[in-house]
Amino acid sequence: MTAPGQTSRPVGARSPSWQAPSLLRGYAPIGAVALLLALVPIFFQNSPSRMTVIIVGMLFAAYAISFNIIFGSTGQLFLCTGALAGIGGFSSAILSERGVPMLVSIPLGGLLAALVGGLLSWVAVRRSLDTIFTGVVTLAFSLSYDNLVLGRKDLTGGETGLRVGAGSDTILTDQVKPYYVFLALVVAYLVLYRAIQRSHLGWAFRALRDDEVAAELAGVNVARYRVYAGLIGSGMLGIAGALFAHHRGFIGPTTYAFGDVDVRVLVMLTFGGVGSLLGPVLGAIVFTILDEILVGFNQLRIVLYGVTIVALFLGFRRGVIPTLETARSKKRRTPAASTKSAED
Amino acid sequence: MTLLELAGVEKHFGGLPAVAGVDLKVNEGEILALVGPNGAGKSTLLKAISGLQPPTLGSIKLLGKEIAGLSAHQTRRRGVAMVLQTPRTFHSMTVRENVMIGAMFGSSAGTTSAPSIADRANESLGFVGLTHLADQSVDTLNLHQQRFLELARSLAGRPKLLLLDEVMAGLNDTELRASIDIVRLARDQLGVTVIWVEHVMKAVMSLAERVVVLDFGSLLADGQPADVMRNPKVVAAYLGAEIQTNG
Repeated sequence: MTAPGQTSRPVGARSPSWQAPSLLRGYAPIGAVALLLALVPIFFQNSPSRMTVIIVGMLFAAYAISFNIIFGSTGQLFLCTGALAGIGGFSSAILSERGVPMLVSIPLGGLLAALVGGLLSWVAVRRSLDTIFTGVVTLAFSLSYDNLVLGRKDLTGGETGLRVGAGSDTILTDQVKPYYVFLALVVAYLVLYRAIQRSHLGWAFRALRDDEVAAELAGVNVARYRVYAGLIGSGMLGIAGALFAHHRGFIGPTTYAFGDVDVRVLVMLTFGGVGSLLGPVLGAIVFTILDEILVGFNQLRIVLYGVTIVALFLGFRRGVIPTLETARSKKRRTPAASTKSAED
Repeated sequence: MTLLELAGVEKHFGGLPAVAGVDLKVNEGEILALVGPNGAGKSTLLKAISGLQPPTLGSIKLLGKEIAGLSAHQTRRRGVAMVLQTPRTFHSMTVRENVMIGAMFGSSAGTTSAPSIADRANESLGFVGLTHLADQSVDTLNLHQQRFLELARSLAGRPKLLLLDEVMAGLNDTELRASIDIVRLARDQLGVTVIWVEHVMKAVMSLAERVVVLDFGSLLADGQPADVMRNPKVVAAYLGAEIQTNG
């Protein structure tokens, strides 16, 4: 294909910006975050209560990264984050209580959650549900999950919950070791997220998130890629939920409840930046700290929490990471523009 | 050689036929303009061919193979690309990345390596003259450039058939001439067959080799541009007045 008198470069020439991105450039932020988070136990290892809170914070970072693949990448508003984590958690716990080794039951829990999430995506695609209706359907699923947990006492323990003994006397007990297990999970999820972003999947996700009609016309099988996102993100939620069940040693109806998981994950992701690599981790860190700061305010805590969330969202409507990235790229462009105008 | 063959194609919306039984054969390498009054079913017919709105009835064959009922991404991979009247770009991407999506997913042959995708994107951008904007955000492009970007994205997938839906509306004379040149060169150099819905009659008379007129979803006339525009039925369909073809 030749350019008829246009300002093109020769056929086959590479654009300066299109070079195989180096490993360092793609994964360095993950390494930096991992290094910083690895230092956390140095400061809090003598405080079991703080370490418990921090581990839960890491769990929520894993949840938020998983949700980011479903919602941030493909715009599917899954209001069943807790339910999918709970499917992973309960199924893994039930399997372990029946003699299945923990290392097998955790992936199986993730697999079951992936299948359920993939099915929900498939239904949303088949019925052409938009973001809001996908939210409504998955919220209904979330309520069904709650009833299932409460109703099937023989399997889940109902209101009294289920003791999970498989994780005792393993690396998942104690305070510091499990922290590193969850940190490894978060890092693995970030690496997976980045790998997806740089793959065929990531290009398809970006295209369909920007404009589904344009993506379809460009040859992207929008339905299939949405289901892929549902499968992958739900599987990740299931594994995180299962790992937490074995760490905590006990799970009940509130462990994965909508109000405790979905709302927080949505807030964390939206605050950090939907569709950004490190946004979910930042959101999880900020809101875990915020929870801790406000814990001393008793009844006022909820009010203060709400006010703080509103203030943060007013300041960073697109999320902190995208806002900072935009500001940085503007700052980079400004000196170049001023130099150019000076030359003119 | 016949590239596209439509037989009894109908598209209904709630029982109302927007396209009412169109039979049409398009030869390889043709530039065919599809004209007609507003609401004649031109864009609907293009969308039926592209798979964006599959037909209610009828057969659409591309090189003898049935494509009616396939979704848009499937027809795209069989070689049918479409550019819409209102440009639809991927706003989070640069100009080059937009075109790379077309090279990556829109090819019937399939692409294997990242460099070949980038090469194709660069070639397509060069073809439409947007190389100098390759690394810019699409938000910085004007309407004319956005349409060229969509054209580049379509061409990056090496289509056999290009469907253009009023891509010359709202352009000034310079932009119009540039658009006409690009479409003609796409046919001449890349061998792309073009079906093109257009209201700008000056462009139709300048570029089209064959004009098909639709009215109320049915074929009204088919032939050389000058002959068709003198056809009394066509004149009557267009406000009952002689059609202004010179501006």
